[in-house]
Amino acid sequence: MNPRNSPEWLTTTVGAVRELMIKRLEAESLDPGSRREMEMALEELDVMWEELQGQAALLVRENERYAEFFQYAPDAYLITDAGGNIREANEAALELLKTPREAAIGKPLAEFIAADDRVSFLSRSVPLGLGATVKPIAWRAHLQSREGETLEAEFSVRAIPLKKSGAGGLCWLMRPRA
Amino acid sequence: MTAELEALKAMWLDLSAHVDQLAAERQHYQDFFEQASAAYVVTDEHGTITDVNGAAVDILQRRKAWLRGKPLVVLVALEQRTEFRRRLRAVREPHAERSWRTIFVAPQLRTEVALTARLIERRDAPGGICWRLEALA
Repeated sequence: MNPRNSPEWLTTTVGAVRELMIKRLEAESLDPGSRREMEMALEELDVMWEELQGQAALLVRENERYAEFFQYAPDAYLITDAGGNIREANEAALELLKTPREAAIGKPLAEFIAADDRVSFLSRSVPLGLGATVKPIAWRAHLQSREGETLEAEFSVRAIPLKKSGAGGLCWLMRPRA
Repeated sequence: MTAELEALKAMWLDLSAHVDQLAAERQHYQDFFEQASAAYVVTDEHGTITDVNGAAVDILQRRKAWLRGKPLVVLVALEQRTEFRRRLRAVREPHAERSWRTIFVAPQLRTEVALTARLIERRDAPGGICWRLEALA
């Protein structure tokens, strides 16, 4: 959301526009009936505006609560788009991949799979990204960090809509093998 | 006054769109939490339950409404509570052991569980704790 659309900006601006309307209302010589109608409409607008703002504030709090859970879940989770690119990664996943967030987001997940396992990984994951029915499934593959370290992990995948667009995405749970 | 009304209408649509976007994002993360195959419980920093997903309800065998607001320790078997409280107090220490086994109890049921805790980091206030529960066969 750009700053011009932020709830704070909207509130300030709506307040200013409302004040302007009241001044106009005072200046214009409306008959008492029309004036009363206009005042009631403004009051109604205030109530609706407050309700909508309350709804937005509640959603912001709930968003934070659930997003916080995703971010700090004890398990490593990634969300990829149809092209297999990482759209979201939680803290545990970044620790497992040994990579900072900015180096992971937007990269194909396959880049973090060891070369020997990559073809097999792609042959399983690409059809899922293309819309094949995603029943929760699991398999093993080796992760490879940027430094070349490898680690065997169990991958479980299920379908999930992407955050912004709602388009089909995949949610990956990665657990290192003991 | 038409211009002002048009401006208000435009802002109203902006805020409505913002609310719709927030609702979609909330649903995204809520679905992620609820539909996870792993069992998760979220508590505040004192161990009071704030959220439980469906898989955790299956393990704990209690209703969500009953669980919310209860200290997690009340679900732990009596003989394990001292140990649980000791570990919970220490969970923020830098090298604390954040995985251990305990026993959860429900009416006529005792379930041995592997617990893993992860701290929620917040800048401005102490964060809560995300717990993973794995029922041991």
